[in-house]
Amino acid sequence: MWLAKTIFVKYSVLVFLLLLWELSGVFNWVDQAFFPSLSTTVETIVSMWSKVHLFMHLMVSLCRVLVSLIISLILAIPFAFLFARVLPTFFSRIEALLRVFSIINPYCLFPLFVVFFGSGEIAKISVLTWVSMWPIFFSTLAGIKNVDPLLVKTAKSMDAGPITIFFKVVLPGALPSIFNGIRIGVEMSFFILIAAEMTGATAGLGWIVHSASALNQVTMVYGAGLLIVVLGVFLNRSLNFLRSGLFFWKEERDPIAGITGPLVGAKRISNTTLAIMAAVFVAVLSIGLYEIYRAEVMLNDPTVIPEYRVWTE
Amino acid sequence: MTIDSLYQTFGNIFYRFGAIVLFILVWQLACSTGLAPETFVASPMVIIKTLYQYALDGSLYKNTIISLSRAFYGFILAVVVAVPLGFMLGGWFKSFERIIGPLLTFLGQFNPFALFSVFLLLFGIGEFSKVAMIFWVSIWPLLYNASLGVKTVDPGLIKLARSMGMGRIKLLTKIVIPSSASFLFSGLRLAAGTAFFMLIPAEMMGASRGLGWLIINAQVNYQIPKLYTGTLVIVVLGIVIDYFFRFLEKKVVIWKEAQNL
Repeated sequence: MWLAKTIFVKYSVLVFLLLLWELSGVFNWVDQAFFPSLSTTVETIVSMWSKVHLFMHLMVSLCRVLVSLIISLILAIPFAFLFARVLPTFFSRIEALLRVFSIINPYCLFPLFVVFFGSGEIAKISVLTWVSMWPIFFSTLAGIKNVDPLLVKTAKSMDAGPITIFFKVVLPGALPSIFNGIRIGVEMSFFILIAAEMTGATAGLGWIVHSASALNQVTMVYGAGLLIVVLGVFLNRSLNFLRSGLFFWKEERDPIAGITGPLVGAKRISNTTLAIMAAVFVAVLSIGLYEIYRAEVMLNDPTVIPEYRVWTE
Repeated sequence: MTIDSLYQTFGNIFYRFGAIVLFILVWQLACSTGLAPETFVASPMVIIKTLYQYALDGSLYKNTIISLSRAFYGFILAVVVAVPLGFMLGGWFKSFERIIGPLLTFLGQFNPFALFSVFLLLFGIGEFSKVAMIFWVSIWPLLYNASLGVKTVDPGLIKLARSMGMGRIKLLTKIVIPSSASFLFSGLRLAAGTAFFMLIPAEMMGASRGLGWLIINAQVNYQIPKLYTGTLVIVVLGIVIDYFFRFLEKKVVIWKEAQNL
């Protein structure tokens, strides 16, 4: 009952707004040509499924985020450990340079990457990697630094070797912080992805928005926009879910308020859920790679699907 | 200042920023030896020359001013709307805040680019759509921080002030605003950063003036020195804006103990 009440309080305003959006269409409060109602927008999304290969674009966008996430994990985490544990003096010398790199506005790097790598996938993947790399790197560093030194000392006094200390003490202690970096990185790269797809791409959700607005397909702009918003919120929610499931033992700490307390209702994530999430990850990645390839083929082959060509031009 | 401390200061600066200087030197060397092809990489010298040239003919100044004024108007509008609203939500309408809070966080998570096309549709391609976009992205951190700042005011202080017969307005100016000032400042800093951050892609997508337009235009026309120069100006402005708000916070909120963020 309490749960139902909280959910009601939480989502009542959202439902009210959605209702208002729908009613504005029913009673024609605003011009439908510029502000289509909710049902029209949802209908458009359904029709886009077959009309513009929505599934392909969806998978292409998601796959770009995931590939860049994997690359930035491979780059950022080993370097962070290296700098924090092995070369701290060297790191303190280059820290200022790295900080400057990390605050460079990624949008103004995008034209540079296009100049370097052409307008293909590599430019987009590399700008996304750049964006998600820095939060992961710096939060890994912070995570390692914040590992309780007493724990390390205790482990040492129990005659644990450096490898054991690393895998049993430092890594588990730093993981929540690393995961927080991953969350920020994924959110940022999803933001930037849409902009990158809008300025220079031939597939993906951002591209749909861009070309739909260029062709004056208003309902399609709203449909793709709604989809992007829903997808972004979904990504955010699933990462939060994973975090509270994996680090149920960790005390929540608001970065601004600094208020500490245990995570509310956090439970250990079950192995089945974890396996399902990993399977979804791999499936999206592999389907996405195939769809990126398919999008490339479609673009270059005029005979494949005629309406796709019409839509691109 | 003695010679010794002077030496120490310079040593410190070199220790911290030596890597940056080294990076620029290596960049210059790679360009002048031909290791980095001129068609892709502009050397620091070329960037400085281009900067000088654009500074002379005024085009850089014009575009920078246009970009900054867009960011400024959107930001100021957001401050005017969000700070009082955040105070009210955090202070007076607590139950209303409980209902509307989740919606606000939800709206804050919106991908602004999904909305940008909608803004273009609704407001046209003029200045207003860009300002509206900046307004949209900078309102959320301000709102969140203002309401959080009011919520975290020590209730003991308020009770104490009340018991000494302090009026509502005096309570606001003497207790609430000073103790939530550090939250307000971090909200301001975040919002200004985001405003300038999001302005660049907004100008890349639908503008015919401004810094974002400058670099996307340089990319399309393959003017490599111009592209690097525009990027440099954007990077430096971003850093300056961030440091300005940090400096302001340090100067204004002198009573606050350092927070361990």
